[in-house]
Amino acid sequence: MESVSNRHSPTPLSAADKPEPSASVLTRPPAVYHALVAWFHKLTIEQRVLAGFSMVFVGILIISAISYRNTSILLANSGLNGRSHDLIQLLNNIEAAMSEAEDVHRRYLVTGEDSYLEAYKRVVKQKPSFTAYLHDLVHGSQEQQQRVRVLDRMMDRQLSAQSKALVQFQEGGFRAVRSMAFEGAGKRELAAIHQIIAEMDLHERQAIRRRVVESAAGTRNTIILLGIGVLLQLVMLAWVYYFIRHDITERRRVAGELQRRGELLEAANKELEAFSYSVSHDLRAPLRHIDGYAGLLRKSVEHSLNDKAARYLRTISDSAKQMGQLIDDLLVFSRMGRQEMLRTTVDPNQLIRDIISDLRLDLQGREISWTIAALPEVQGDPAMLRQVFMNLIANAVKFTSTRPIALIEIGVERPSPTEITFFIRDNGVGFDMQYAPKLFGVFQRLHRADEFEGTGIGLANVRRIVHRHGGRTWAEGVADKGATFYVLLPMRRLDS
Amino acid sequence: MTATKPILLAEDNPRDAELALAAMEAEHISDKVVLCHDGAEVLDYLYCRGQFKSRLRGNPAVVFLDLKMPKVNGLEVLRTIKADVNLRPIPVVMLTSSREECDLADSYALGANAYVVKPVEFHKFLSAVKELGTFWGLINEPPPESCRSMH
Repeated sequence: MESVSNRHSPTPLSAADKPEPSASVLTRPPAVYHALVAWFHKLTIEQRVLAGFSMVFVGILIISAISYRNTSILLANSGLNGRSHDLIQLLNNIEAAMSEAEDVHRRYLVTGEDSYLEAYKRVVKQKPSFTAYLHDLVHGSQEQQQRVRVLDRMMDRQLSAQSKALVQFQEGGFRAVRSMAFEGAGKRELAAIHQIIAEMDLHERQAIRRRVVESAAGTRNTIILLGIGVLLQLVMLAWVYYFIRHDITERRRVAGELQRRGELLEAANKELEAFSYSVSHDLRAPLRHIDGYAGLLRKSVEHSLNDKAARYLRTISDSAKQMGQLIDDLLVFSRMGRQEMLRTTVDPNQLIRDIISDLRLDLQGREISWTIAALPEVQGDPAMLRQVFMNLIANAVKFTSTRPIALIEIGVERPSPTEITFFIRDNGVGFDMQYAPKLFGVFQRLHRADEFEGTGIGLANVRRIVHRHGGRTWAEGVADKGATFYVLLPMRRLDS
Repeated sequence: MTATKPILLAEDNPRDAELALAAMEAEHISDKVVLCHDGAEVLDYLYCRGQFKSRLRGNPAVVFLDLKMPKVNGLEVLRTIKADVNLRPIPVVMLTSSREECDLADSYALGANAYVVKPVEFHKFLSAVKELGTFWGLINEPPPESCRSMH
C-alpha cells in the first residue's frame, strides 16, 4: 500500500493535504518557519527575553564543552607525544646497548680481556630495567606491546646465546668459540632486534605525525567554533537587547499616552462638573420662577378663579416640579459616575433591614410577605450598595401595589468563591421580556406615568453602581406575573 | 432691638428677589429687607461706602447670601465677612439653588451659620423664606457687636 502511494507522490503526508506534491515540497520549509514565527509572536516579551538568554546560555555551554574536549585531546596528544619521544629514545638506547653487548662480547671472546666482560655484564644488568621501562611506555598500544614481547624475547635469546658462548669459552677456551667470536654469538637475534626496533620507531614516528596533524585540526576547529559561537552569542544578545529596548520604548509610549488621556479625561471631568453645577444652579431658577409666579397668580386671582383655570395653574406647577425632580435625578446619576468609591465590607442583611425600616411610610396599608434569606457579606461602597438595594426593593414594593398580598423575596443564587448573585423577586405587574434591554436605560419607563410614579432613573443608577463595582445586573420578568432582578458582584477587590 | 435691624438679602435675580419679598411680605417683615443685587453691593453696604455711604450705622440682623452672583460671588463675600473682626458676628445664611457637596463644604468651612437650598416648589420656597425671615429677623437675638457703630 505504502509503496504504491509513494510512487504516486514523493511526499505522501503533504499530498493528503495539498493536491500538488511538488508545490507542497516547496512550501514546507516556509510553513515550518511561519509556524515558528507564529509561535514566537504568541510569546510575551518576558518569555522572549527568557528564550533569548536561554539560547545564549545553552550556546555558551556548548562552546565550553567542545572547547574543553578539544583542549583535553590536545593535552592528551602532547602527553602521548612525549611518551613516544621517550620510547624512541629508549629504543635507540636499547639498540645501542644490544649492539655494544654483541660487540664487547665478541671482543672478550677474541682477547679474553676482563674489561670487555665487565662492559658486557653492565648491559646484561641493564636489560630488566630496559624491559620494564619498555612495557611502561607502550602501555595502551596492543601493536607495540606485541612488538615489545618479541623484542624482549629476542633480547633474551641474544643474551642467552652469548652466555652459552661464555660458558663454552670458559670450558674450552678460544678454540671452542672461535667461529662465534668471529661471527658474533647473537648475530641473528641482533639483526631481528634491529628490525623490530626500526618497526617500532617507524610506528611511533607515524603516531606522532598523526597526533600533530590531529592537534592542529582540533585547534583550528576550536578557534573557528569560538569565532562562530561568539558571533552567534553577540547576534542573540543584540536580538534580546532589541526586544528589551523595543519593549521599553513601547511602554514609555503607552505610559505617555495614558498620561495624556488621563489629563484629557480629567479636563473632560472638570468640564462635566462645571456643566452639572451650572445645571444644578441655573436650570432650577427658572423652574422656581414658573412655580412661584403661578403660585402668586393663583393667590392674587383666588376669588375669580374657575375650576378650569385652577387646573391649568396646577398643571403648570406640577410640570415645574416634575422637571425639578428630573434635574435632581440626573444630577444624582451624573454624580454617581464621578464620585469616589469606598471599599469596605458591607453586610447586606443590615442594609436591607434599614431600607425596609426607611420605607415604612410607603408600606402603610400594604400587606407584604417578605422572604429574606441570610445574605453573605460583600466588598463595596456602603452608600452606593444601599442605593442599589433601596432602588430594587422600592421598585418591588411599588410594582406590587396592585396585589392584595405582595410577595417579595430576597436571596442569593449560585454562590461561588469569585462572585455572588443577589436576586429580588416580586409578584408584581412584571414586564414583557422583549423590553428587558430598555429597563436599565436612563429615563426609560415601561409603565405610564399615571400607573406608577417615578422618573425612570432608579435602575440606571443600579446598573451604573454595579458596573463600578465590577459586576453585572439583569432582569427576568413575565407580564402581570412578576419580575426578578439580579445583581452579580465580584467577591475579590476590583478597582473601578 | 432686633425689630429695628435690617435683613440684608443678596440676590442678583429680580424674580427670585420678588418671590422672596412676597414671602416675607406675608410675615410683615419685607419692609426690613435691604436688597443687594451683587456681592459688591453687599460689601458696600456692610462697609458703608458707595450708595450706602450715608446709611444708618450698624450691622444687619442677618445676611441672606446667594452663591452665584455677578462681580463678587457669595463665597467671596462670606470670606470677607468672616475675616473681618467687626463683621464676623453677623449671622450669614447661604440661600442658594446649589445642592453640590463642594458648595456646602466650602460654605461651612468659611463659617456660614446656615445653608438652605431654595426649593423648586413655590409653597416650599414660600415657607422656607418665611421661616428664615421670622427666625433670623425676629426670633434670633443678634450678637451685641452688631449694634456697635462702624469705624
